[in-house]
Amino acid sequence: MGDNPMSIADAQEPLEAVIKGEVLRMYQEVADNPDAEFHFFHGRLAAEMFGYSPEWLERAPAGAVASFAGVGNPHERSRLQPGETVLDLGSGAGLDSIIAGWQVGPEGRVIGVDLNPAMCLRATANASATGARLECLEGRMEDIPLPDASVDVVLSNGVINLSFRKRRVIREIFRTLRPGGRISITDIVSAKELKQSIVNDPKLWAS
Amino acid sequence: MFALLEDAGFTRVRSAVVPGFRFRKASTRDAAEAYGVKAVLMTALKPA
Repeated sequence: MGDNPMSIADAQEPLEAVIKGEVLRMYQEVADNPDAEFHFFHGRLAAEMFGYSPEWLERAPAGAVASFAGVGNPHERSRLQPGETVLDLGSGAGLDSIIAGWQVGPEGRVIGVDLNPAMCLRATANASATGARLECLEGRMEDIPLPDASVDVVLSNGVINLSFRKRRVIREIFRTLRPGGRISITDIVSAKELKQSIVNDPKLWAS
Repeated sequence: MFALLEDAGFTRVRSAVVPGFRFRKASTRDAAEAYGVKAVLMTALKPA
């Protein structure tokens, strides 16, 4: 093969940095001000819309529920088993990690990865409050800070769409999964290519 | 995303629309509708 032409994502690196900042800001705001209004539904209302069990929402720490910013319910088809190792990519305030932790039990392991170290601290504290064990690593989904073939299941809820490098994210998920491993991911997709004015708007991209 | 999963080597790629998903603000909801934006649940396997 010859040249390796600059990808669209590489060409848009400055914009990517701005969007990363906006993503950090927006989801930190959801966590800090869960009573505020956003483009998307969040908190308990959103979790109920997506069919999260009322029992889960009662049992989970109020802070994790209030800051929930997912777009669906990845647990619906995750079929988590006791003893499995789960990666929650973009773990946020930790609600999905906590629920996964209950399912894999004390023999299992849940690893959260989040861009925002403050969210990792929050998720870990939320998990501890329920007796669930969560290891949360600061990191980018484009460079998941885990070895090859180290997890059984990858969960993710509404974060891959935020990346400029989705192909790379998917390759990273594949790399970290053990052979025979599986994914259960909820995310936003678009049937049509977004206008450049939308792509260039960090607030819209982040939402 | 479906194609990206298959390209990466995943098998048994399945997707289903998340029925309850919608944006809260009407302006965002209208724009999303125009672009066919939806939430999906995707499952797939890494071959053993």
